[in-house]
Amino acid sequence: MEIEKLTALEIREGIIRGDFSCEELVKKLYKRIKVVDKDINAYLTLCEERALEDARKVDEKVKNKKILGKLAGVPIAIKDNICTDEIKTTCASKMLEDFIPPYNASVIKKLKEEDAIIIGKTNMDEFSMGGSTENSAFKITKNPHDLERVPGGSSGGSAAAVASGIAVLSLGSDTGGSIRQPAAFCGVIGLKPTYGLVSRFGLVSFASSLDQIGPITKSVKDCALCLDVVAGYDPKDNTSSKSQETISYLEGIDAGVRGMKIVLPEELLSQDINVEIKNAIEESAKKFKELGAEVEYIPLSVFNRGLSSYYIISSAEASSNLGRYDGIRYGYRTKEFKDVYELMVKSRSEAFGEEVKRRIMFGTLVLSSSYYEDYYKKALKFRENLSREFKKVFEGYDLILSPVTLDFPSKIGEKKSNLLEMNFGDVYTSNVNLAGLPAISIPCGKSTNGLPIGIQIIGDHFSERKILRAAEAFLGGAKV
Amino acid sequence: MKITIDEIKKISSYAKLIFKEDELEKMTRDFEKILNNFDTNDSLNLEDINLDNFDRVNSEFRKDEIEVFKDKKKLFRNTKSMREKNIEVPKLIE
Repeated sequence: MEIEKLTALEIREGIIRGDFSCEELVKKLYKRIKVVDKDINAYLTLCEERALEDARKVDEKVKNKKILGKLAGVPIAIKDNICTDEIKTTCASKMLEDFIPPYNASVIKKLKEEDAIIIGKTNMDEFSMGGSTENSAFKITKNPHDLERVPGGSSGGSAAAVASGIAVLSLGSDTGGSIRQPAAFCGVIGLKPTYGLVSRFGLVSFASSLDQIGPITKSVKDCALCLDVVAGYDPKDNTSSKSQETISYLEGIDAGVRGMKIVLPEELLSQDINVEIKNAIEESAKKFKELGAEVEYIPLSVFNRGLSSYYIISSAEASSNLGRYDGIRYGYRTKEFKDVYELMVKSRSEAFGEEVKRRIMFGTLVLSSSYYEDYYKKALKFRENLSREFKKVFEGYDLILSPVTLDFPSKIGEKKSNLLEMNFGDVYTSNVNLAGLPAISIPCGKSTNGLPIGIQIIGDHFSERKILRAAEAFLGGAKV
Repeated sequence: MKITIDEIKKISSYAKLIFKEDELEKMTRDFEKILNNFDTNDSLNLEDINLDNFDRVNSEFRKDEIEVFKDKKKLFRNTKSMREKNIEVPKLIE
């Protein structure tokens, strides 16, 4: 059994067939983690004992011929901003270094109900703010394709874990590209679902109107399988959508793209994009045509804008959401203080990292009376306009193709001094979050020096089935 | 849009954060850059957009219902200290 090559579907089948036991599989995975993760640094916390206990429960179910869950025996890594009962959830921040949630996020509850095995919590940019995982307070995760480079972020630990075969699938969160960008940099598949499709209950908030939890996997079918489990209405999240019927995302996934109308905005390829990425996207468009889709290039100027609106809205929401960390009720507390103001100021200033503080500051600025009307309110209007522009496109087309990133992952430390430049890496992804749309990142080629290239497939609200169908057709059922 | 370092200092007191002078200077420059980018790129004519028209995908609301969390010990595990059923906070007289 080569655990690093197995998909979730293969694992479930293997356990049912009796090819291996779940305990055997989990033990083997931890053995591999202990070797491989010394170089990658994907995990912040491992929960081996608990995972083995859960694995034995799956084996008992198999032995007693009980009905197995959809993810029976599948080892899953969880981004460290998703609350896990009795397992540390730090958001890679000194602020929550010792925080142990008293409950499971709804997605964790759903995974466990389907017999998945939680193996550990993965590294990330602090509170999801960043695109390299270098903003973690604890460690720097490395890209499995080149250990001198970043894996992307903020779900960099999750993507690197899947890419290096030390997790079969993983959950990340995406506020402006945090699932899709690391998936592209690490050569795996990452899906950002429609806003409201997956419950955010138990996801530590960054920007509540943009955050979404989604899967990072080795195959499109695993992505669909995971979405089958985690999607659905949750009364505990009042932005969770009731309008969707329970459907299987695996059903009809092999139907292909024949007859689909796919569009590529002209502006995307005229931007400051790396030529190898540009070529790979154009080649991918040709491939979709060969597969039977109608592919067109159209002007869609809205794609040239949006990044500063994203930055304004996400920072404003972050400044409010992170106001709860005051050093009084829970989280980090400074050692010495004279009064309550100093207690809060010192606790926050000592525990938050540079990027988090910067975003809180920017968010507070745009919400202040002198800037609110001209910036925050205008950004909200821009967002509404953007959604309308996307809606118009989806009246005539099924899907939009775009690059995921402008460039390849930077060398570790290379861009950290220029955080502003790093944030401009969200240019292709953040518009999707502003409009609440679903999008997937799948590998579409490699650079001359072997770095993966990702392509983004964007669909209308709740069109995940269509997106997954196109992704599956493009990869021809292959696992990455 | 010109931002001054004094404005950023004022904002830091609202945000309950402290910074060194050079950090404040850098932030002033960075924020100005983002707002200028917004002024030139994102700021279209958006007069017809009414933010009060709420027709987004997710417009369902639920009732706020109280659910009692039974395991109090677990619930308060992350607090710094407890006295009987209350969270103990540092004694501060202002």
